[in-house]
Amino acid sequence: MAEKPTHDGDERMIDRRRMMEMLGAGGIIAIAGCSEGETTTEDDGGMDTTEGDGDMDSPDSIQFLTMGVGDNIQSFFDENNAAFEEEFGVDMEFTSVTWGNAKQTVNNRVDGNQAPDVGRWPARWIPQMVGKEALEPLDDLMQGDFYDKFYEGMAEGCKYEGSYYGVPWAASNKCFYYNKDIFESAGLDPENPNLNSWQDMLEAAKQIRDSDSVTKPALGLAGADAIETGSQYYHYHWSYGADLVDDEGNPVVNTSEGADALGFYAGLANEHNVTQTSPLSSTRQDVRQLFESGELGMVIAHVYAGLNIEDSDADFDYGITQVPKGPEGRYSLNTIDSVAVFSQTEVKDLAYDLIRFYFDEDRRFEYSSQKGFMPVTKAVGERDYFQDSKNWKPFIEAGQYARARPKLSKFSQFNNRMVQAIQEAVGGQKEPQKALDDAQADLEEMMA
Amino acid sequence: MSTAEDYIEKHSGSRIERAVGYLKRNSRAYLLLAPTVVFLIAVIGYPIFETFRLSLYEAPADTTVETFVGLQNYAEILNNEFFGQLLTQTGRWVVVGVLGKTLLGLLIALHLNANVKGRKFFRTAFLIPWGIPYAISAVVFRWFEHPQYGYLNTILQELGLIEGSIGVLGDPTIAWLGVVIGDIWIGTPFMAIIILAGLQSIPEELYEAAAIDGAERYQQFRYVTLPQLKSVLFIATLLSTIWTFVSFDVIWTMTGGGPINTTHTLVTWIYQTGIENGNLGIGAAYSVIGFILLFIFAMIYLRFYTRGGQEL
Repeated sequence: MAEKPTHDGDERMIDRRRMMEMLGAGGIIAIAGCSEGETTTEDDGGMDTTEGDGDMDSPDSIQFLTMGVGDNIQSFFDENNAAFEEEFGVDMEFTSVTWGNAKQTVNNRVDGNQAPDVGRWPARWIPQMVGKEALEPLDDLMQGDFYDKFYEGMAEGCKYEGSYYGVPWAASNKCFYYNKDIFESAGLDPENPNLNSWQDMLEAAKQIRDSDSVTKPALGLAGADAIETGSQYYHYHWSYGADLVDDEGNPVVNTSEGADALGFYAGLANEHNVTQTSPLSSTRQDVRQLFESGELGMVIAHVYAGLNIEDSDADFDYGITQVPKGPEGRYSLNTIDSVAVFSQTEVKDLAYDLIRFYFDEDRRFEYSSQKGFMPVTKAVGERDYFQDSKNWKPFIEAGQYARARPKLSKFSQFNNRMVQAIQEAVGGQKEPQKALDDAQADLEEMMA
Repeated sequence: MSTAEDYIEKHSGSRIERAVGYLKRNSRAYLLLAPTVVFLIAVIGYPIFETFRLSLYEAPADTTVETFVGLQNYAEILNNEFFGQLLTQTGRWVVVGVLGKTLLGLLIALHLNANVKGRKFFRTAFLIPWGIPYAISAVVFRWFEHPQYGYLNTILQELGLIEGSIGVLGDPTIAWLGVVIGDIWIGTPFMAIIILAGLQSIPEELYEAAAIDGAERYQQFRYVTLPQLKSVLFIATLLSTIWTFVSFDVIWTMTGGGPINTTHTLVTWIYQTGIENGNLGIGAAYSVIGFILLFIFAMIYLRFYTRGGQEL
């Protein structure tokens, strides 16, 4: 007969089990505890993901960190990095991380004194990095002939507190796409659409909604819990004369103009029912993809929406106009990526050489045209390829309406709170003014 | 067997001497344990300590400056109106998720334990969802529930339950349900396998004796199966509770915590606050609160489990 386990034995068994369970419970704590010390890089479509080992800052080598290198641009970097290595007789350590991991990776490497020599990222991150004293001012580089290469707006987008902390690497802005087939079916003129203002857009959307010949939604509206929802909405906000922050950087989101803009945005779904089903679960990518598949009448999107349609089997015709204007103007959200030099670098001259190397005109043309980003240098933007293209031309013209999000060190937090206000209004949970008033109160506390 | 002399020798002297003697006698065991202990301290102990420390500081991610604020982060959290909502949402997520996984897992395990045709195939097939990375499953469910392309709308329309299309994940009142369904689908196979193992360990004689006593199938389940499964169910639900509580991938991938923050749980909120918004101090304080909540739950649970010093 088996011996009955003793009470003592039970206790020991439970102790061990308790320890295991407590360790399991402790797992949550690691989420925050590991957040500062863990570096994560991720392979994205077969790109090079070599991580630094900390001793690569010898004069014979340079580290270049970038993000979001996809299949369409991988060979561009492979070839040019090799050319740079050959021309300057150095080793290049090239790292690309996915956008999802980008900010965390940069922060981890800076905090761990493992910053790369050169890095490329959205210019809106500059304030945070400057706050950490992680960036080298590039005023001595951004002058003379080199400075003159750039569109002024692009160059100024990399300026913070009077100094240039980046060189504009790439840019994207927005235009307004419409599906010509849907317009025609709804009795609208597909070749000369009247989409000059938001009101014109709404009238066209209503006509599509009411048409017996069209079953597809008229307008794509982003409302999901994602940073891009703010990006889509700000076109309306600014064009109504509202702003996000004042000249001192204080939040001013809840003006009556802002409430009108948010009311109009929310009303597209709630009052006029001209949008796709469930805007609150739709990201910007969702509505763009809906348009690219021919299932949507109109949408605000980047140049690559058109390039994607050209590359796909989609069987419909589309047109591109400027983003409609509001009572106080017309804006095209402009996002600039910059390339910067880290203050931890020991090869500053080589870093400048790398930047100059990549701003050779032919290289910039190749990059912009392959990647589908707006040119940042005048010589490239003036080339026929961009001026004559059906897809590119409206975006080049939209440069005059370009407006960037404010440079705030707490921009993510700011934007998340704005997205919540947008969702509250679109979801009918709060009146637009109330949603913005609550957001304003939280933002004032956050930025105090 | 110890002699009286051994006993006297072992228990004589001061406490320190006895402790030193104990360590000497067990030095080899401690030596063997040392690498594991050091490893655990490094990968678990240090992050826990760092989180507790950070929770007492204002630590914006955009500077390297940390300012000691004492318990201010905790006060801020407790005074935040959203905190109550967050706890409710977290509780709802855990209770509904664990309950769903347990009931479904039990149902599946009972069927897999029966002598059905293709039993081996089904046992393997039911494990598949657990073998798929959570984030991938979450993407699949996001598309399944997609308002324009999702199968869910097609199914509901075919059944005549809806006319137009609905966006589950975009509706603040039901979005959590859309996410929890995905989590249940992912977590059920683990419960089923654990419960199945428990079912297979129940002696057949118990059922034979119950049958002889005239017990019907339901009575056999109620008075034989369930009591015999109690230990397994306790451990499985405890683990499932911890895993569901700390689950991040599914919620973040499907909704990002929205719409209007209605699908956030403590864990996703920790990420948004600490990492996305860059408030490392407050994020750490939320983490400590989560740790304490789980710790209390585990203690209460184990108290029931070991009621009176005996396993149930």
